[in-house]
Amino acid sequence: MDKQTNLENAQARIAEASDQAVLADLERELLGKDGLLGQQLKEIPSLPPPERGPAGRAANELKAALTAGLLARAAELAEADLAADREGVGFDATLPAPPVERGSLHPITKVTRRLVQIFSSMGYHILDGPEVELDWYNFEALNIPADHPARDSQDTFYCDEEGRLVLRTHTSPVQVRAMERMAPPFRLVCPGKVFRHENTDATHEHTFHQMEGLVVGKDISVGHLVGTMKTLLRGIFGKEIDVRLRPGHFPFVEPGFELDARCVFCESGCRVCKGTRWIELLPCGLVHPKVLEAAGIDPSEWSGFAFGLGLSRLVMLSHGIDDVRHLLGGDLRFLEQFSC
Amino acid sequence: MLISMRWLGRHVDLSGIDPEQLALDLTLSTAEVEGVERFAPYLSDVVVGHVLEREQHPDADKLSICKLDVGTGETLQIVCGAPNVAAGQRVAVATVGTVLPGDFKIKKSKIRGVHSMGMICSERELGLSDEHDGIWVLPGKPTIGAPVAEALGIDDWVLEIDNKSLTHRPDLWGHRGVAREVAAILDRPLLPLDTSLPELGGADPVEVRVVSPACSRYIGLSIDGVGEGMTPDWMRGMLLATGQRPIDLLVDLSNFVMGDLGQPNHAFDRDQLAGDGILVREAREGETLVTLDEVERKLEPADLLICSGDKAVALAGIMGGQDSKVQQGTGRLLLEVACFEPVPVRRTSARLGLRTDSSARFEKHLDPTLPLKAAGHFARLLQEVQPDVTFPASLADAGDWSDPACEVPLNPDQVRRSLGVGISDEEMSALLSSIGFRVQANGEALTVSVPSNRATKDIAIEMDLIEEVGRLYRYGNIPERHLTGALVPPPVDHRRELAESCRDLLAGGARFHETLSYSFQSDALHKMLGLDGESYVSVINPVQEGSARIRRQVLPSLLGLLEPNRRQRDEVRLFEIGKGYLPEQASERGEPGEVHELALAFCRARQSDTAFDEGCLPRLMAVVQDLLGSLEFHEQQFVAVKQAPVSWLHPVRRVEVRVGAGDGACVGFVAELDPGLAAPLGIDGELVSDTAVASISLDALLEQERSGGSYNPLPRYPGFKIDVAIVAPEEVPARDLSRVIEKAGKGNAKDLVIFDLFRGDQLGAGRRSLAYHLVLQSDKKTLTDKDAQSFLRRLERGLGEIGAELRS
Ligand SMILES: [Zn+2]
Repeated sequence: MDKQTNLENAQARIAEASDQAVLADLERELLGKDGLLGQQLKEIPSLPPPERGPAGRAANELKAALTAGLLARAAELAEADLAADREGVGFDATLPAPPVERGSLHPITKVTRRLVQIFSSMGYHILDGPEVELDWYNFEALNIPADHPARDSQDTFYCDEEGRLVLRTHTSPVQVRAMERMAPPFRLVCPGKVFRHENTDATHEHTFHQMEGLVVGKDISVGHLVGTMKTLLRGIFGKEIDVRLRPGHFPFVEPGFELDARCVFCESGCRVCKGTRWIELLPCGLVHPKVLEAAGIDPSEWSGFAFGLGLSRLVMLSHGIDDVRHLLGGDLRFLEQFSC
Repeated sequence: MLISMRWLGRHVDLSGIDPEQLALDLTLSTAEVEGVERFAPYLSDVVVGHVLEREQHPDADKLSICKLDVGTGETLQIVCGAPNVAAGQRVAVATVGTVLPGDFKIKKSKIRGVHSMGMICSERELGLSDEHDGIWVLPGKPTIGAPVAEALGIDDWVLEIDNKSLTHRPDLWGHRGVAREVAAILDRPLLPLDTSLPELGGADPVEVRVVSPACSRYIGLSIDGVGEGMTPDWMRGMLLATGQRPIDLLVDLSNFVMGDLGQPNHAFDRDQLAGDGILVREAREGETLVTLDEVERKLEPADLLICSGDKAVALAGIMGGQDSKVQQGTGRLLLEVACFEPVPVRRTSARLGLRTDSSARFEKHLDPTLPLKAAGHFARLLQEVQPDVTFPASLADAGDWSDPACEVPLNPDQVRRSLGVGISDEEMSALLSSIGFRVQANGEALTVSVPSNRATKDIAIEMDLIEEVGRLYRYGNIPERHLTGALVPPPVDHRRELAESCRDLLAGGARFHETLSYSFQSDALHKMLGLDGESYVSVINPVQEGSARIRRQVLPSLLGLLEPNRRQRDEVRLFEIGKGYLPEQASERGEPGEVHELALAFCRARQSDTAFDEGCLPRLMAVVQDLLGSLEFHEQQFVAVKQAPVSWLHPVRRVEVRVGAGDGACVGFVAELDPGLAAPLGIDGELVSDTAVASISLDALLEQERSGGSYNPLPRYPGFKIDVAIVAPEEVPARDLSRVIEKAGKGNAKDLVIFDLFRGDQLGAGRRSLAYHLVLQSDKKTLTDKDAQSFLRRLERGLGEIGAELRS
């Protein structure tokens, strides 16, 4: 066979190599010492001297041709491999892997954080206070005197017969404690656990979470209260929410209001708003002068507003939770749904 | 409270007023209206029938065959099962084709062989009340064949006002008071109502003695010549619409006056009263009274009684006594209209579980001038129905009371400042006048005369008047404003910050689930854990027996969650950050000591083969270690606890967590539960588990220094990995072995990790093998094989000194 044919055969075999492994074998065979090139090189010493030069050049040309062929084929094969990989054979987008496991934050924690963030950004202090509270802070200083119905034991857990120590029925006592040591003006909110003497069922719970707020300053008006509450609702729901104030009575505010928010769950009445398009959301009002006085703040100089936000209620509303007992029930099937 | 629009119409013209709009107006200006409903809509679908004949059904004892006139000219035959049906009655008839509540369509039927062409209805069948012992016998002589609602004049709309929004408004517990608000809102006049007493005779009144401050006023009006008579249909209709069953003239009249003016009242048979008249006194120990509802009430000295002579005849302000029930046809009456103090009435009614329309009103601080008006109102209404009644005696009027009407100064600028709206002096005066306040200009200020009906525990100070102006002006008309002021960042709350970081770290990397649980812990749980002997803050009125104690520590709260969660999950990872209360650390003022705790529980189905570092306890220790490290408490150690046992923790498998330099300070523990608790906690048998728990005091942690940790320069010379296995006696702690390795490394042995623990016969009894990955690396030069050899030789020697050896 002449050399030309040999080269053509070799190039044909290279072109036919079906994968990188076959190509590697072929490379060894063709460029190895027993291969095509090897044989040609072996012949060189036995040639007459004048032919050796041309034979050497021919061998080099052969080597260059083979190497180029091999490299080209290798590149072709690599490209084919990528193309085959890009085919994505066997991929099933719906075939599951084990889920990523995570922990969870309690929904009350999450909503508290959201609100704390909103209020912090508006310069409010975030305060904490005791769950077992003195009667003075829970009632007396908040203009709820001894014979007030709110003090009846069907509403309040008492820790002693004298009624000196109670489980706080709201977080407002934290505000009184704050007013005692802070000089106005100030803005503060107190999130926390509160207690009402009540038998539990799907809609009643004796332990729940609240966040009450207080602003004391010069000439604080109902207009400020409305503005602040709208800002708050915008923060919670991420959009402008219509509100309406209507008369409501709470001993520690005067005037007192119930703030209703436009139902965010419907356009024309739903279960949550009981068809009214309004959700009763926030009891609030201007701080009663007696409350300021009890905390040592001169009501002729300072005024303020206060509001209460039911965190448990907000969580239930925003997640559509139908049984309040889930909140403190510690059931993982519930908690896991609020993964962080 | 139910408010009838027809009834309101007696006090203010409501023509053209839409009930829904009226409800909204009241909600926005006065009190929350919870519902608006047409009164008994089915009453328009049934007609008045006249029972002409009634005879016994031949084949059924309890059935009657009735022939009725329903105004069609034909006699209608209806089979009726009610025991009280009788000829001559006017009844409500649902004819064939009528649909009653519950989508119940009346059809032609045959009952025991007798045709029946409709139904004679009970009150329940008409959605009127729960009464279904018999048919509803219509009062009076309503027009035969007319729709019942129209014939009885009870076509009406009913507004339901939320009682909670009326707690501070005693004046709104009657239709007149609500009408006053409605008149102001609609800007229509409040119609006049004559409540003056009719002419009284000159006889001596019944003697009334009040010997308790719980009764501030007691009026006794003697009435003679009361005959039997029907309550007028219009009044009966209004009572029905507001949920009161008409009974007889005197009861209905009493209820009407209460529903109209908000003033409870009670009629006694004067002939039954003792000669020495009425005594209002507190009960004596052991005294009892059978009330109108036929229940014998055990009384206490705080209860107020109305007595005839000395014999109790009524529980003041709550309910009359069974014996004093006035019989229809009693000719000589004493009408009691009194004012009782709210607190005693509330206490007694709460204690006896006896809440009545009367007690609900007295709890609200009624106007002491109201009894006189109510007496006059009652007398005039009675006269309308029975013109022959007389009032033979002058009025008995006892008690120590004063008119609460008062004057309150009002600074118009303060109104504008507080509401944040530019309302004029004239506007605010007009608004206050519209609800019966009198306003006089007094220089710059206004003086507002508050009438007595608003002056009991309601309007007393300027802010109260500002509320009146605001609500009548409508809060919705006040523009919103933003707060302004110096922006001073609030101080950092370190405890909140620490708690929030713990939450993020535990719920994030550690994959724990946060729970919030009750502050109550049950006696049973404490008993189980051996914590019964501790002292606790306890409530005296627990919701549940045996759950009065407030927790001292949070962790036990998590233990009760293990079993139910293990039923659902093989692995339970829970944490809670909460408070505990220690009564022995009470402040001078009596506030119990408060502690803040992070509690963790890790419970997992027991596995047959767990790697040495995969057990619950080491895993939880790793979680705590990582947590503290991430919180920048870098100096921390776990120390086996040898001191006093803790009743509920494993006696050996527990460690103290210490943070800080040197020995550090104890901030909590990580431990397994005592194995004896598995069964009582329900995590045994099919739920057999390994459980580790931890408790970290946030208070103790806050006392420790946190540091960001220092930067280590990146290595300049390469290191190489090397594994060593060490066989050592069981009692040599792993930490000692690590120290030997570090010593042998002369500062160059780094990144020690134990990757295997092995026990086996070939090691000999009481010995174990620990295998380490480590890196030999110097910051001065590239280490060589020679350095490795000398490290191993030093290690060999060091191990020898503590009875351990390298395992080849
Ligand atoms: Zn809705």
